[in-house]
Amino acid sequence: MSTVLEQIEQQIAKLSNKAVKKNTGNIRTVADGVAKIDGLSDVMYNEMVQFPGGAIGIALNLEEDEVGCVILGDVSQLKEGDEVTTTGRLLSVPVGKALLGRTVDALGNPVDGKGPIDAKETFPVERIAPGVIVRKSVSQPLLTGIMAIDSMIPIGRGQRELIIGDRGTGKTTITIDTIINQAKINKVGLASGDKNFRPVYSIYVAVGQKNSNIVRTISALEAAGALEFTIIVAAPAADNAANQYIAPYAGAAMGEWFMENGMDALIVYDDLSKHAVAYRQISLILKRPSGREAYPGDVFYLHSRLLERAARLEGKGSLTALPIIETLAGDVSAYIPTNVISITDGQIFLETDLFNQGIRPAVSVGLSVSRVGSAAQIKATKQVGGKLKGELAQFRELAAFAQFGSDLDAKTKAQLDRGGRIVELFKQPAFSPQPIELQVAVLFAMQKGYFEPVDLKKVVEASSSLKTFFTTRKDALLAEVRTKGALDKDLEAKLLAACEEWKSSFSA
Amino acid sequence: MASHAKNAQKFARLLFKLSVVDGAVSADRVAGAIEYVEKHNLANPVMVLKAYHRLVETELAKSLAVVEHAGAIQEATLAAIASAMTRKYGRTVTATSKPNPGLLAGLRVQVGDDIYESSVRGQLATLASSV
Repeated sequence: MSTVLEQIEQQIAKLSNKAVKKNTGNIRTVADGVAKIDGLSDVMYNEMVQFPGGAIGIALNLEEDEVGCVILGDVSQLKEGDEVTTTGRLLSVPVGKALLGRTVDALGNPVDGKGPIDAKETFPVERIAPGVIVRKSVSQPLLTGIMAIDSMIPIGRGQRELIIGDRGTGKTTITIDTIINQAKINKVGLASGDKNFRPVYSIYVAVGQKNSNIVRTISALEAAGALEFTIIVAAPAADNAANQYIAPYAGAAMGEWFMENGMDALIVYDDLSKHAVAYRQISLILKRPSGREAYPGDVFYLHSRLLERAARLEGKGSLTALPIIETLAGDVSAYIPTNVISITDGQIFLETDLFNQGIRPAVSVGLSVSRVGSAAQIKATKQVGGKLKGELAQFRELAAFAQFGSDLDAKTKAQLDRGGRIVELFKQPAFSPQPIELQVAVLFAMQKGYFEPVDLKKVVEASSSLKTFFTTRKDALLAEVRTKGALDKDLEAKLLAACEEWKSSFSA
Repeated sequence: MASHAKNAQKFARLLFKLSVVDGAVSADRVAGAIEYVEKHNLANPVMVLKAYHRLVETELAKSLAVVEHAGAIQEATLAAIASAMTRKYGRTVTATSKPNPGLLAGLRVQVGDDIYESSVRGQLATLASSV
């Protein structure tokens, strides 16, 4: 009781008798979450405006005699003639570590029923991306825990790697695996007490998704113990288009806080196709001229300004972006996919055919690329997996060719056999990212031919047996691989001895 | 429909430009503009007049300080507000009073889109939003 009174007294003490100047306008029309307003002569572009009943709007169209605003919040109480005032502030969201483990809406308000968020700072939703002087090249790995990606399409801290594919090909799963892997690495790193360890915090932005899917994602993260390192920004399909349009920028602002404060963060935009659709809806209602597929002319800038905010900064932290794009019937040459492909530093392409064949994650090696390349890989992975991408690409080509004839020479047969084993090795169940040292051990065994005597159908079983063997009996060796980060002669000998030991136990 | 509205808006803007003399709306010119709309067979006269009315109303509001007050207000206060606003906006601003008991105490002055609020109601609203 006394605290409440004290709070009111403090607020009264802050009040002054000076006249407060406000710039106002009146609603002329409200429709589909967009209001046309007379007045507001001092409003700035992207400024927050206050509607009656607590709703907030953003001024997006400044015309000669009216202002077009998108409304974030409940529009049902608004009517023609209502007074609208400028706030003098750009749209901002709360930022900081207090948001970790929480689910918030596009404005940073908690929606998880866990009470208010005690955030000390706010960051503007729209910010200019860091320039060329402050940027540093990407050279530190961001491990996804997915063997096919970490060994062939490595992602670095500060990179933008697009995940693209048809619906139901496992795009979201890859990003959840990556978030879970960051949490696992964070826990190990923080427990080790290493002062140079840099944890990676994750932000998952859900745009236009079903609420049930968002709940499933949260549950998966919670079950894996990754939620405490993650912020969920939810703008589900039931939210209005304005919230869906703002959500990725709000998530980027939260990620920028980590980057600006010398920490590393990962942001997932799930997905930018629906984001573009939400922006198209707003633009059409605002009567902006439409272009190809009815998208407005600035739809490229919509995504380029968002993804350019991911960077690795000199003397500060980094923000890695994993945008997701959903294609229709594998068409990567559609408008939005080509736009985002050209903005990002590479893409992971997921194929429906591979997914249906049971090859999961269904990464298409031929179409996937990371423009950062091996700069973002640890030396041990380069040593054991450097040639894998080429070998696998050759295998796919040969496999397609071999379909036409049965007479194959011994060399081609060997290549096909080896390729088939690599494909089997890369199969990985959902939500079970593998530590990099274990990946190195498995790839080492593969390079040294330990899977060659194994029947093709039993490769997955053998690989799983090898992983269990290493994690249960060779923990110290794995720790050595992790700390050294490279394979020297001594380590190679130890790995060989371990593989021999496993071989005898597996065949037995 | 959209192009009709656009054309009406365009024509209303033209009429409005012709109605302004030395930065102020001229009553004679406004009368002339209305007479023109009456005499000539325009496509959408009502739409044109509505748009024209809004433009003139907005312009006139910029030269008028509406002083809302809860209690009594002296002529000297109105004159002081008018001269302060004239200085601030660099144009002749006249003041008119409008009683508003809802303010509880204090004043609320509106010039065009700008509102200067120094009332108890305004302060209570600020307090309510911050607690």
